[in-house]
Amino acid sequence: MIAELMLILLTAVLINNPVLYYFLGLCPYLGVSNKVDMALGMGMAVTFVMTVAASLTWVVNNLIIFYLNAGYGIDLGFLRYTIFIFVIAGTVQLVEMFLRKFFPHLYDRFGIFLPLITTNCAILGCCLWIDVKGYNLVAGQEGVAASWKFAQALLFGIGNGLGFTLAICLMAGIRERLNFSDVPRDFRGVGITLIVAAILAMAFMGFSGIGG
Amino acid sequence: MVVTILLAAALMLGLALLFTITLGVAKVRLHVEVDPRIEQINEAVPGANCGGCGFAGCASFARAVVQGKAPANGCPVGGPETAASIAKIMGIELSASHPLQPVVRCQARQTDRLGRAAYNSIGTCAEANVVAGLQACTYGCLGFEDCFNVCRYDAITMVDGLPVIDYEKCTNCGACSKACPREIIARVPFSSDTMYAVACSNRDPGRAMKKICKVGCIACGACAKAAGEMFEVENNLAELDYQAYEKGDPAVAAEKCPTKVILPFGPHKI
Repeated sequence: MIAELMLILLTAVLINNPVLYYFLGLCPYLGVSNKVDMALGMGMAVTFVMTVAASLTWVVNNLIIFYLNAGYGIDLGFLRYTIFIFVIAGTVQLVEMFLRKFFPHLYDRFGIFLPLITTNCAILGCCLWIDVKGYNLVAGQEGVAASWKFAQALLFGIGNGLGFTLAICLMAGIRERLNFSDVPRDFRGVGITLIVAAILAMAFMGFSGIGG
Repeated sequence: MVVTILLAAALMLGLALLFTITLGVAKVRLHVEVDPRIEQINEAVPGANCGGCGFAGCASFARAVVQGKAPANGCPVGGPETAASIAKIMGIELSASHPLQPVVRCQARQTDRLGRAAYNSIGTCAEANVVAGLQACTYGCLGFEDCFNVCRYDAITMVDGLPVIDYEKCTNCGACSKACPREIIARVPFSSDTMYAVACSNRDPGRAMKKICKVGCIACGACAKAAGEMFEVENNLAELDYQAYEKGDPAVAAEKCPTKVILPFGPHKI
């Protein structure tokens, strides 16, 4: 059981990395990856928001939408996207206030990127992938405990966040080195960054097929 | 069908209510006192977060202005209009910004220089600067005319291997300053027509310097004694603080300087 949860975590970090495998959340990935410490901060914020958002949306999705569907045959599945975005936006607001109060230094460093987490597709993507990955309750599988499914979804959220952190920190490390290397003039700036991102993604392709 | 619509509405309403209450409580509980001027300045600037001011974004710039770390006219994109509105928010008089004009921080002419090695090549300062020991003074002008060549306005003439700037022709573009590998051409804010500058860049100790150059700064500190706050001797070189330029009389310091290294620059006296 623990092994299975660890596998979900590892899969989300390395194999189904949100940035390098699904190409989600690319704007903070390219925008905040200038310095490693800043990238780490951004990654931590995304991990936190992702964990909270994944668990909250799982609760809303399964305790309300699934319950209504299974119990009364009323399908509110069309509301899923709206509710997810709603929950994520609210959570980010909360995180922003929290950081501002208790970690003003971190808040200063994030600048405009914290509100951008709201529209970070990696987070919405993570919440939606939970459904695809089968971590939601499914009608006809009442034998599976809801807490087990929730634990899976939670770890998937954490894993996705850590995967984002890993990707953005790797990128920031490479970009710090790139500052000292002789890049051809036409490739400087965004060009070389995108090439590096592509090479990183190809490297991570080597993991595909190992897990889920 | 009606039930679905009603339930959907009720669900959204319920969630909205939940988040409103949570965020409302959080706003009160997690309230942070922020200087209202920061918000006002943030609204006054263009908001493109271009980083042209040298800060991470417009919000950081606004904070820096309020903290006094950035000038009110620090936003190059907003220009004078933004500067005026920021000055109004801050309640300060906008000081006129002075153009950064070049001054040559070396006065060793060809005859004053002590060569150490023979050098035969294409002859650019950038290349010559790499050759260690080409010239005894490792800080001074090499005289290979990089600044002269890069100037597109004929504002530099070479006199005895030393650039002399024609301030009538100079457009303050800064190309010469960038071209000089030894950073001898400094750009200083010209708050009046004639500005004084320390015409030496040598940071060797006084005795070592005296052996290789007759016209350099020996870091005796006479200028700091004569003109007070505006001069400071640091790393064996007198530095003129242009922020404190009004606080003393540089002409007095120039008079007192034993090696006559503090010179007036400007269109009238060269």
